[in-house]
Order: sequence, then structure tokens, then C-alpha cells
Amino acid sequence: MSLLAQDTRTKRRNAAERRFRRYGLTAIGISLAALVMLLTSVFSSGLGAFRQTFIHIPITLTESALDKSGTRDPDVMHKVTTIGYARVINAALAQAIADNGIVIDGLTDDDIADTISKEAPAQVRDAVLANPDLVGQTVSFSILANGRVDGYLKGRVSLESAAIDTKISTRQLALADAMQDKGLMSRDFNWAFITAADASDQRPEAAGLGVAILGSLYMMLVVLCLALPLGVAASIYLEEFAPKNRWTDLIEVNIANLAAVPSIVFGILGLAIFINFAGLPQSAPIVGGLVLTLMTLPTIIIATRASLKAVPNSIRDAALGVGASKMQAVFHHVLPLAAPGILTGAILGLAQALGETAPLLLIGMVAFVREYPGAPPEGFFDPASALPVQIYNWTQRADPAFVERASGAIIVLLVFLLVLNATAILLRRRFERRW
Amino acid sequence: MTTETTKMTARSVQVFYGDNHAIKDVDVDILDNTVTAFIGPSGCGKSTFLRCLNRMNDTIDICRVQGEILMQGENIYDPRVDPVQLRAKVGMVFQKPNPFPKSIYDNVAYGPKIHGLTRSKAELDEVVEKSLRRAALWAEVKDRLHAPGTGLSGGQQQRLCIARAIATNPEVLLMDEPCSALDPIATAQVEELIDELRTQFAVVIVTHSMQQAARVSQRTAFFHLGNLVEYGETGQIFTTPRDPRTESYITGRIG
Ligand SMILES: Nc1ncnc2c1ncn2[C@@H]1O[C@H](COP(=O)(O)OP(=O)(O)O)[C@@H](O)[C@H]1O
Ligand SMILES: [Mg+2]
Repeated sequence: MSLLAQDTRTKRRNAAERRFRRYGLTAIGISLAALVMLLTSVFSSGLGAFRQTFIHIPITLTESALDKSGTRDPDVMHKVTTIGYARVINAALAQAIADNGIVIDGLTDDDIADTISKEAPAQVRDAVLANPDLVGQTVSFSILANGRVDGYLKGRVSLESAAIDTKISTRQLALADAMQDKGLMSRDFNWAFITAADASDQRPEAAGLGVAILGSLYMMLVVLCLALPLGVAASIYLEEFAPKNRWTDLIEVNIANLAAVPSIVFGILGLAIFINFAGLPQSAPIVGGLVLTLMTLPTIIIATRASLKAVPNSIRDAALGVGASKMQAVFHHVLPLAAPGILTGAILGLAQALGETAPLLLIGMVAFVREYPGAPPEGFFDPASALPVQIYNWTQRADPAFVERASGAIIVLLVFLLVLNATAILLRRRFERRW
Repeated sequence: MTTETTKMTARSVQVFYGDNHAIKDVDVDILDNTVTAFIGPSGCGKSTFLRCLNRMNDTIDICRVQGEILMQGENIYDPRVDPVQLRAKVGMVFQKPNPFPKSIYDNVAYGPKIHGLTRSKAELDEVVEKSLRRAALWAEVKDRLHAPGTGLSGGQQQRLCIARAIATNPEVLLMDEPCSALDPIATAQVEELIDELRTQFAVVIVTHSMQQAARVSQRTAFFHLGNLVEYGETGQIFTTPRDPRTESYITGRIG
């Protein structure tokens, strides 16, 4: 038999291998395509949320309208509500349009006023109350444009859709075009999307992620402060000190099972224990953090035990051999070697907790929260939202402008997850040791 | 220079791993300033018995030890004995060199540190230097004391482990096949070192190499299937064994 010719058996084996490689490549191709599609869809619909349409006009803050007393005392000026400011802004916009010689047939004063966001008066009011001396001056402001106008600039609203939309008219869109030409209106980077609180259905243009990010941050703090020490302590005990018997086997099996429990079950548990029984407030990061801690604990325990197991026994023997106690052997030698693995596990657990939605819905984190939670530790008990819940919440709103914001929020969440995972990889690389 | 004082005495020692009776009724005297070699075929219980002498078997859940092992008249298996304290007096070197993944200095300094043997950094430095010198490693590492111990060659690592074991100033030094992972040159260095160490400690060495036992030891114990078959002067064991099993083993018929 010549070595140059393949026998049928070899041919069959080679064919099988080629087939297997093709399957593998196909699988990778499908996953990559899915990932690209997902990212494209999220980014194409979400990137717009980071830019917002602003109207740039000088506003004359007349004393007679905003501070009749003339005292410039913020306490007194509080009496003027946003309605008073709205009048001032509307007048300023009408003035600016006239000054720039923009003429559009049939455009009414109401049409002009409606291109401004309902949030704008509050914006100006906050600025004035923070600095009462502005009253009496003419100050340049960049105020939010209405969500429909913003949608027009982003291509979501068209002349055709405006024709059948009661909330916007083609005249207003023509005005928006003219204002853009004159530099009165432009799309700019929108920090408020990341820092501002959520907004009501009527003003999607003002909705931001500030409260959700803060809530998520607080919850992650709670998870980190509880799950990491608890999980590591439990793992060290189980792995290094506990006798191996039926009870520890049972505990082990249960921890493994706990990791597979659907997260919504933890939500029900949290509702029953932390809210109904312990009487903790609803929608509070502390409750969310506790529930996520329960959820993350098994993940951290499993990761920690795996990293402890990976430390060779010869290291323990070496320490015990020179007369270290078991505890010294663990804390001086085993734990430092296991630390990168433990931290990686903890970070991945944290990432999982960060994206978790279902249990938070059950404990009321889905409520509409406009107030920022206070500084810790009291802030842990203030109502707050959370990133994934905020995304869910926005997808439920009627106004299509919220869809864009939901996608934008997904981008923010993805960035956070990416940062966490990158940290995990970095830690692993940095502290990886050989023995 | 052999003073013939008994350092440790084992009486009717039995070891069980669960149902496996690994050591059967073993009596041995470990003499001071003497190298005692444990030889015997693989799996006969040499390591198991060695680990009884510093209670390293305590770390194995299923392991049970019966009988008594006396050290200066005190039973080391007395419930009042803390094995941690015992292990500072009975040091151990393992088969595979196992330095801590820390600096050479920290490896040697660890024992003295946890036992509070030194009061100042200068004193600790001195102990580290003395131990490394006694382990015949000082000349090779004195310029890189803060380099990782795991970066040394196998033979150097094993001598580092010896330095680490003697840094706590033990009375007995146990070595479980300390040369089995080393090349011939490193083996020769360690063997030479063992002969040196005998001046200060009672040394017990497990070896599967009969030549090594003959070269380094004054006393030899031959184990077979958990029994101590024969124990006596090394020269006598190798030239005029009393038990036929010993004879078969050293002539290469069982192993
Ligand atoms: N950790 C352990 N668990 C259970 N059985 C063990 C353990 N260590 C050793 N044994 C058993 O004890 C007997 C003696 O082993 P060992 O002392 O390692 O022999 P040697 O060192 O002479 O080769 C063997 O039968 C082995 O299977
Ligand atoms: Mg052995």
C-alpha cells in the first residue's frame, strides 16, 4: 500500500474532520452575525439618545415677571412657578424668530411655544433660582426642544408623519428648518441623558439615567460589601476547614442548585423577607442590593471554591510543615494565590447582578423616581431606579422618543458591563501566578 | 560524633486510611545526630509513617493513628499537644520542591516570623543567612534574596525548602524522597548537605534508592506492606540482612 494514496479509512476520517471544522466555523459565523446584528440595532437606535436638540436664544429675564418684590431673595422667587417662566421663554423665542426674519405662513404663537420642551421652563427656573442676580439681564440659554422637533432633526419624525400627528404640525417643522439655518437650533451632546432623572411621558427629551445609574451603583456597593466577604468566608470554610461529610456534601449541592434558581424567585423572596417581614422601604437600593446579594452569593462561592481548589496542596503542606496553623496557611499563602480568581468571579457576579431585572421589578424598583437618592448610607433607603429596570420602563412608554432612550440606556449598561469584564480580565492577567 | 541519644520513639504505631491498614504495629527509635533511612517498595507506608512523626497525617480526614510516638518522653499524639507547635520542632521537606511563590528571603523568614523567633529585622536577616548557609545555598542566592523562590532550579528549590525547614531551628528533620525530582548533580549536593545536617539534627529520610540509603544513612528501616521488617545499622542491613524479605528487596527481587 503506497503512502502517497489515502486508503478509504483515512479518507473517511479526513472527511469527518473537514465536516466538523465546517460545523464549527458555521457556529462561530452565526454567533458573530447575531452579535453584530444586536450591536448594530442597539447602536443605530440608541446613539441618538446621546445627542439632543437644543434651542439657543437670548432670554430677557424681566424683573416684573420673575421677581416682583425686587429682593432677589430665592425664597420669595420660589413663588413664581414654571408657568411664569414659560411665558418669558415663549416671548423670547417669538422675539428671536422675528429678529432673525423667519416668516412662516400660518404660524401661531402657540405653534412657536410648542416647539419648546415642557422641561425648558424648569431648566431656566433652576438657573435663575441658583443665581438670582440674572434677573433683569438678557442671558443666552440653550433650552431643550420638544421631543417631536428633536425627532424631526434625528429623522424619526417626517413631514408625512407630522401631517397626521396632533402633537406637531408641518408648520412647526418648517420653523425648525429655518431655526437650524439661522443657528438658533442644533443637536449637541447631551450630558443630561447620563446625569438627569427620569421624566414624565410628556417630556421624553428630558429623561435621563442619573437616578438609575446612582441606584445601580448603590446596589452594586451593597452587593460588593455583603456578597464578597460572605461568599469568600463561606468558601474558605467549606473548602479548607469543614470536614467532608454528608452535611457538607448537601450544602455543596444546594449552593450549586442555588446558582441555577431563576432570578425572579429571589425577587419573591426579597419581597417577602426584606419588605413584608423586615419592613424595609420599597424601591430602595438596599433591598435591591440584598436581593442581588442573595443571587450573587452562589456565583461568588462557586468561583472562590474553584480558585481555592486550584491552589496546589503542596503550598498548604509547605506552610503546615513549617508549623503554620491552618488559618495561617490559608490566609498567608492560599488566599493570596486564589485572590485573582476570586476577584474575577466576584466581578463577573457583579456584572450579572448589574444586568438583572426581574427580581427588581418585584421589589418595586420599577417605580417612576424623579428625586436622586441621598448620599450613602441614608441614600440606600431612598427610592431609586436601576439601569436594567429603567430600560424596561422606557420600552413600556407610549412616545417613540423613549424607544431611542431605552436603546441609549442599553448602550450605557453595555459600557458598564464591558468595563467590569475588562477589569476582570486585567486583574487575571496582572496577578496570574505560576507555581 | 554519633551520640546515640534517642530523639523519638515509636511504639506499636498503627495507621488506617479508612479501612486500609497502612502501618501495622511499627516500633522505631529515631536517634539524634543520625540519618535514619526508610526504604521499601512503593506503597509500603514509608511516607505514611514519616508523616506520623510530625502529625502531618492530621490533615488527612480519613487517616487514623494509634499507638504512641514519644519525643523526649512526651507522646506527640497526646490530646494536649498542639500539632502546630510540634511541627516547629519537627521540620519537613517534601518530595517535590514546594517553595512559596514569594521571595527567597520570605520563604526562609516565614517560619521564624510566625513562631516569633526573632525580635528585630536584623535578627531575622541573620537567621535567614544562617539557614541558607547551612542549606549550602547562600553563595548562590545572596545577591538575589528578593527574587522569587520559584525562579530557582529544582535542586536550588529543594535546598531552599531545607533552609526554610531548618530556619525554625527544629530538632528533627523529616525528608520524604527529597531527591526524587532532582538531577544527579543536585542529588549529590543535597546528599552532601544531609550529611552536614546530621551534626545538628536527627534526620529521617525516605528514599526509594538503596544506594542513597547506603550513602547517607547510619540507620535503615525496611518497610514492606505496612510492616517494619527490619531496622538496624545501615551497613548491617545491606550486608547481612536477617529477614529474607529484606534480602530479596536489596538484591532487587521485590520492589
Ligand atoms: N492520603 C491517602 N489517603 C488514602 N490512602 C492513602 C493516602 N496516602 C497513602 N495511602 C495508602 O497508604 C499506603 C501507603 O502509602 P505511602 O505511605 O504513600 O507509601 P510509600 O510512601 O511507601 O510509597 C498505600 O496503600 C496508599 O494507598
Ligand atoms: Mg511516598
